Amino acid sequence: MKKIFNLTLFLILILFQLKLFAEERNYHKELITDWSRIFPDQNRNAAGPKFFKYIIDKKITYKDFIEFNKLYCSVSGSLIDPNSEPDFLFVNESETNVKICGNYYKCCIPCSCDIMKYSKVQKMKYKFEDGIKEFFVFTIKNPCNKNDFPNRVNKDYFCDGKKINDKQVYNLNDRIVIGLLHDGRNCNKDEIDFVKSHQVTGRYCDLRNNTPLENLDAGMGDIFIKLAR
Amino acid sequence: MFIKKIKNFYKYLILFLFIILTNNARAEFFEDLSKIIENNEKRLSYGISVTDFNMDGNNEFVVTGFGFPNLALSFQSGKLININQQKIFSDSLRKTIGVAACDIDKDGFEEIYFLNTDTYSGVKKYSDRLLDLEKNSFFDLFELEKNKENLNLTAGRSVVCVDRKGNGEYGIYVANYGGPTRFYEVENDLIKDKAKELNIDNITGGRAVISGHILTERTDIFAANERGANYLFKNDNGSFEDVAFDYRVDDVIQNGRGTTLSDIYYRGRLDILSGNWLGYHRAYVLENNSFKDIGNKDFDEPSRIRTIISADFDNDGYDEVFMNNIAEPNKLFRIEDNGKFKEIKLETGLEAEGFGTGAAVADIDNDGILELLVSRGESKEQPLTLYKAKVKKDSKYLRIKPLNKFGAPARGATVTLISNQRKHSKTIDAGSGYLCQMEPVAHYGIRKNEKNFKFEIKWTDGKKELIDINELNQTITIKQK
Repeated sequence: MKKIFNLTLFLILILFQLKLFAEERNYHKELITDWSRIFPDQNRNAAGPKFFKYIIDKKITYKDFIEFNKLYCSVSGSLIDPNSEPDFLFVNESETNVKICGNYYKCCIPCSCDIMKYSKVQKMKYKFEDGIKEFFVFTIKNPCNKNDFPNRVNKDYFCDGKKINDKQVYNLNDRIVIGLLHDGRNCNKDEIDFVKSHQVTGRYCDLRNNTPLENLDAGMGDIFIKLAR
Repeated sequence: MFIKKIKNFYKYLILFLFIILTNNARAEFFEDLSKIIENNEKRLSYGISVTDFNMDGNNEFVVTGFGFPNLALSFQSGKLININQQKIFSDSLRKTIGVAACDIDKDGFEEIYFLNTDTYSGVKKYSDRLLDLEKNSFFDLFELEKNKENLNLTAGRSVVCVDRKGNGEYGIYVANYGGPTRFYEVENDLIKDKAKELNIDNITGGRAVISGHILTERTDIFAANERGANYLFKNDNGSFEDVAFDYRVDDVIQNGRGTTLSDIYYRGRLDILSGNWLGYHRAYVLENNSFKDIGNKDFDEPSRIRTIISADFDNDGYDEVFMNNIAEPNKLFRIEDNGKFKEIKLETGLEAEGFGTGAAVADIDNDGILELLVSRGESKEQPLTLYKAKVKKDSKYLRIKPLNKFGAPARGATVTLISNQRKHSKTIDAGSGYLCQMEPVAHYGIRKNEKNFKFEIKWTDGKKELIDINELNQTITIKQK
């Protein structure tokens, strides 16, 4: 008994030591390292969908998936600094128009407004290394038929002719997945009130989302909106 | 029974704390020797090269001055003394930042390239200087009428010497900023810019550049750039192809700074250490035709990095990596077996308020231990600092100094120490760190119980030579046949 107790203590100490020196995965560094693989032409304008596809194609766990998806902006395609704080917001579900609340990691404030107005969310199921998980993703409609496809966006990333380019972006029921809504769930009344009264997702977004497109001069502005509207 | 268990618990707790403390405690690594630098006044300094300035067989530190005189610091009577007395060399009115020395005209003397920069980017006012020595007097090859059409009038940063053909005819790669890269060589007694001909006249934010046996049997080039992808120029019989993307060292959204070659795995090949300004620092090792970054979280932590040096300061047979940061504490790592970077905590040499701009190593006093000279400046005038590791009394070393067939340092050649414990390659430095160039000697400390020493020299033409070593604590000069 004494021997077992001593051995257990010894193992705990060893495991603690190992944990101390274990290397944590640096998701931000991985995205920086692979940036030129994700964007071979170095054009990341509105290319959140490229990040999403790159991440979900990796052999990763659900935790890795969540962490990777905190590090880019679904609207602009910019990388986000690690430890950035998300905005709590809601977006309508594609089929039901029910408000789904959750956290959105953005590069700058206007992107929160753009995602609320121009994207929808859809429930998605996916098999990761550690099992099947269900979560909400932001999607935009197929932009490939547009006559005014924004010329600062690489169309080849999104489209194969008039179809969504499944090799480059993730196609969910003929809509393009542009990113992950973190902690997504049906909103309750308090949450909706919170979002509507918040200085960014409420007042500022009201102002921005009622400004004519030609007058927008902040954020990715017209690029993402032209793609997603 | 319970008390016994508690006692046992404390026994293990003490053991655990002992392990933690011994892991972290370490005696002071460096000794500060700055007091031996004579007339060490506050100034704005940048790059440092190590070359035999006066052809007396000993190397000097050549320290650039930004609106201050360039210096040639020689070790004499226990002091580091500026022995330059020539105006064209000191050149106080120009703003020199990058420096490299190599024999471009095959006379055995290393010409000195001073890169001047009076603007951040694009067109500059004053050209660079390329100094040659004739009858003990320096003259600027760029001031000769015949060479004036090839002046570099673009802001730049680092320079590196490249023996691209492997025949001892060095060229000089000039990493410009906001203008085309230059590559100067002597052709028909003229200084010619061959960058366009070699397809390397790219425009980028050139920062740091190194050259050596990275991929091929000839000297390749790695350039760490800002606001654009890095370049990895693979040498194909004297011409170059950029393979940075294929080999995954393009690091396109980070801003390159100091870089150097290092045998990170002690496996007999040179890999790349590359620092990024406020970005992740890289420890690239070649695996299956692609570089993999193996830097751990202590090593890769973003900092205001400038120069990176890989050298065995304390003669223990393992290389250290000195990371010189500007307005931020310096860092030192020991590269252990299997490419593990272990931080050595500094007090001396930390320079928490130092504005480090460059650094170089050389055994300037010929005692078998490397000295580290740090230049400082940029936004605050500061004196130079000089450090030396506190080595164990019984430490041993070997130093290999390869000279090419013209008698000049064989910069870009690779020396590999082969023993019962390791196969450890070092480059004969052609230019590295940031704006700097190290001594053209492969310096090795000797490990515990290490024996059966041999050296392999891979010359810049790819030919190899094997040398047996019977005695330690010596500098061996090897001349290319």
